[in-house]
Amino acid sequence: MKHDSIKSSLRLVVAAIVGGVIAREALPEYWVYLATSVLITAIVLQSLGLVVSRAGMISLCQMSFAGVGAWVVGWLNVAGAPGGLIVWTLIGGLAAVPFGVAIGLPALRLRGVNLAIVTLGFASAFDMVLATINFPGQTNFLSVARPALFASDGNYFVLVLAFYVAVSVGLEFLARSRLGASWLALRHSERAAASNGVNIPAAKVSAFAISAFIAGLSGGLLAGFLGTVVSSNFSVMQSLAMFAVAIMAGSFFPEGALIGGLLVVLVPQILRTFGLAQDWGNVLFAVGATQALSTGEAISEAVRKVARKIPWPRSTKAGPEGVADGKKLPAPLRLDRSTDALRIEALSVRYGQLVALDDVDLSVPVGEVMGLIGPNGAGKSTLIDAVSGFLAHYEGRVSVAGEKFDGRRAHLRARGGIRRTWQTTRIAPELTVGQYMRLAAGRLREDQLRAVLDWLECADARMLVSSLDAGTRRLLDVAGAVAARPAVVLLDEPAAGQSYDDAYELGNHIARIPTLFGSAVLLVEHDMDLIRLACSSVAVLDFGAVVATGRTREVLDDASVKRAYLGIAEEAMA
Amino acid sequence: MEGYFSAAVAGLGAAGAYALLGVCVVFTYRLVSVVNFTGASIGAAGTFVLVVLHQAGLGVLPAAIIGLVAGTLTGMLIGSVMTRWFAQASASTKAAVNVALLVGIVSVGLRLTGGQHPKQFPDLFPGSAFSLADVQVTISALVALGVAAAFTLVSDYFLARTSLGLQLQALSENPKSAELLGIRVGLLSLVVWAVTGLLATFAMMIIAPARSPDFMSLSLLIIPALAAALVGAFRNPWMTFAGGMGIGILQGLTSNIPHLGQYRGTIPLLVILAVLLWTQRGARWDEAR
Repeated sequence: MKHDSIKSSLRLVVAAIVGGVIAREALPEYWVYLATSVLITAIVLQSLGLVVSRAGMISLCQMSFAGVGAWVVGWLNVAGAPGGLIVWTLIGGLAAVPFGVAIGLPALRLRGVNLAIVTLGFASAFDMVLATINFPGQTNFLSVARPALFASDGNYFVLVLAFYVAVSVGLEFLARSRLGASWLALRHSERAAASNGVNIPAAKVSAFAISAFIAGLSGGLLAGFLGTVVSSNFSVMQSLAMFAVAIMAGSFFPEGALIGGLLVVLVPQILRTFGLAQDWGNVLFAVGATQALSTGEAISEAVRKVARKIPWPRSTKAGPEGVADGKKLPAPLRLDRSTDALRIEALSVRYGQLVALDDVDLSVPVGEVMGLIGPNGAGKSTLIDAVSGFLAHYEGRVSVAGEKFDGRRAHLRARGGIRRTWQTTRIAPELTVGQYMRLAAGRLREDQLRAVLDWLECADARMLVSSLDAGTRRLLDVAGAVAARPAVVLLDEPAAGQSYDDAYELGNHIARIPTLFGSAVLLVEHDMDLIRLACSSVAVLDFGAVVATGRTREVLDDASVKRAYLGIAEEAMA
Repeated sequence: MEGYFSAAVAGLGAAGAYALLGVCVVFTYRLVSVVNFTGASIGAAGTFVLVVLHQAGLGVLPAAIIGLVAGTLTGMLIGSVMTRWFAQASASTKAAVNVALLVGIVSVGLRLTGGQHPKQFPDLFPGSAFSLADVQVTISALVALGVAAAFTLVSDYFLARTSLGLQLQALSENPKSAELLGIRVGLLSLVVWAVTGLLATFAMMIIAPARSPDFMSLSLLIIPALAAALVGAFRNPWMTFAGGMGIGILQGLTSNIPHLGQYRGTIPLLVILAVLLWTQRGARWDEAR
């Protein structure tokens, strides 16, 4: 993983040096000036790409964050603070972070468009406040001093380029980190991300705060670039236009941000040559953004698609052979066999008048695979939701390995020892298999990762999840859950949609989970052959109550179970 | 004390307009599942038609009627983009599209109305109705309040008591299934956009003479309206009405306080933050399984 980040970062740095030297030496002065503003805009767009494209949220106040950065740089300049522009710019970026947190925290625990509303409100309020307080140095025409080395426009271009590259490299590393994977995961499904132990509000706020920091940097650079800034540089309309451009160009990728920067700077230039007003540029961005949203494809994505068709020379070197070897699996969890891995006592769940679960007692001992069966609507999935923390209210007690879990939020239950899978898989398709595994299971060595995937015959770690078929994704769900080695794994119909042979294989694998990983398993399934194969004991749920528990064979042969579950009447059996 | 009272009364016109815009936002959201960021800009479009026609010598009444029609049509235009291409899109995609459309309307508006140069806005209902403890209550404030209250009443009734209203809400997330039930969703959503476009234009015509009358500032009056809608949790028209009233009166009050008055533009943001903090007790999850 890290290796990939370093490789693409190096590629970026080399491209930047080559491009920078060409631009600085070969372009006329005015073009270098324009290129500088392209890069500054591209930095803002990268900050938007982080929030909009990675975490799937809408932010309409990026230019206000830039304004905070510029204001702080202006203030430090007037105050004659030590350190010079580069240090001031970093401080300006940091100053934008508390603003990001203050308006992000209230909005981000809720879903929906709250962040869009609150950021629009902030942009407008900031606009009005700026108009009354002015920028430091604005009234006495004190312009922001550039460092002596970067005083000329050509050298200042190099400084801005260095910032752009630093931001890109930082984002590249972030994108491949567990935090970056959690952003993609929560954009796809917050529940699934939480079931992997991701603290949703914290992940969202961190994305928003980092984005505010980057936008703040660009504001500081703009202050140094222009010397004096005015409030209209950071108006609501600027923020809104940036949002449209980010959508249109697809600032998910560094080159998308660059394309967006080019659009923002060059379109008004072109309009001016034709004698057209610059407002039409924003109309173009609005249309472009709408178009990109309706086709689901931004400019940079279209460019990447074309680039993929060009037959570049590729390295065909495959990774070292991975052998399914139990020894390479991560060390299993060791639990005291005298406590239960999962103990549910007097669990009741009501939806209004409807009783979904009624006083359920259930224990899954350490080292055991227990089946949970019952007809549709019996309450199996409700039980899993309640235990894993996805229901707002339930009565009764849930404890894991002797520890009380009631009142804990879902991600804390996941971290504390309950992992679950979902009936329909919710893995973010933009992740690679390896990224998902590390998101689910935390730190894994390369050989451990491969061993887990090989054991389930799942997929190559470098493959994109989007390229996997549904059955393989379900296996990947299971792989992530067991690799985390929780006290108990709750599997919700893992074999649905699998062929008979694959389900048989899966049953054998599930039976070995306690030995290999140390986790107990509660398996919800309709496939009775799978239950017989994998489970040493079975509990039967009917109308929200446990009607039978015991050894698998005894329970499945019990007459009342057959009646409840298989729908065979006693008369017919007699 | 008296000063505060008169300041509060002075905020009544804006309060009525915010309430009306806010209820329009809730009405649109409940029926077509779009958080309409363009509401105020649609109204601003109609209002500028009124101004231009009036400056060209047309009487206030015919100019206002044509302006209202123009606002209604603008609303339907936005609505048809939203329903035609994005009816099945996710909530966040719809919001992003809507914001992009806001950028479009504002840019076109700024271009056609000559940028930030303020215009002369005619007062639709000049004069004061009566005086309350020596404070003049203007007719236009009363009209704004009356129309806002009436639309709140109607939308509350429609959303909660009529079977069409209930059906449309139940199906707003999934227009395809509504089509299968034989409800003409496309047409009905256009009606929703037309009605809210008309009322938003009316609200903007009332409030515009008292505001910095450029297209951008007027379009941003959607922010207090969204804050009001949040007070009503995007569900309850009467709470939204109360929210709009509260924000308008609060802004009137603060404008009277020295040093603080110039920051009254931050009140909607503070209301938004307060409401969000209040609503988020307990974690919530995205779509059910």
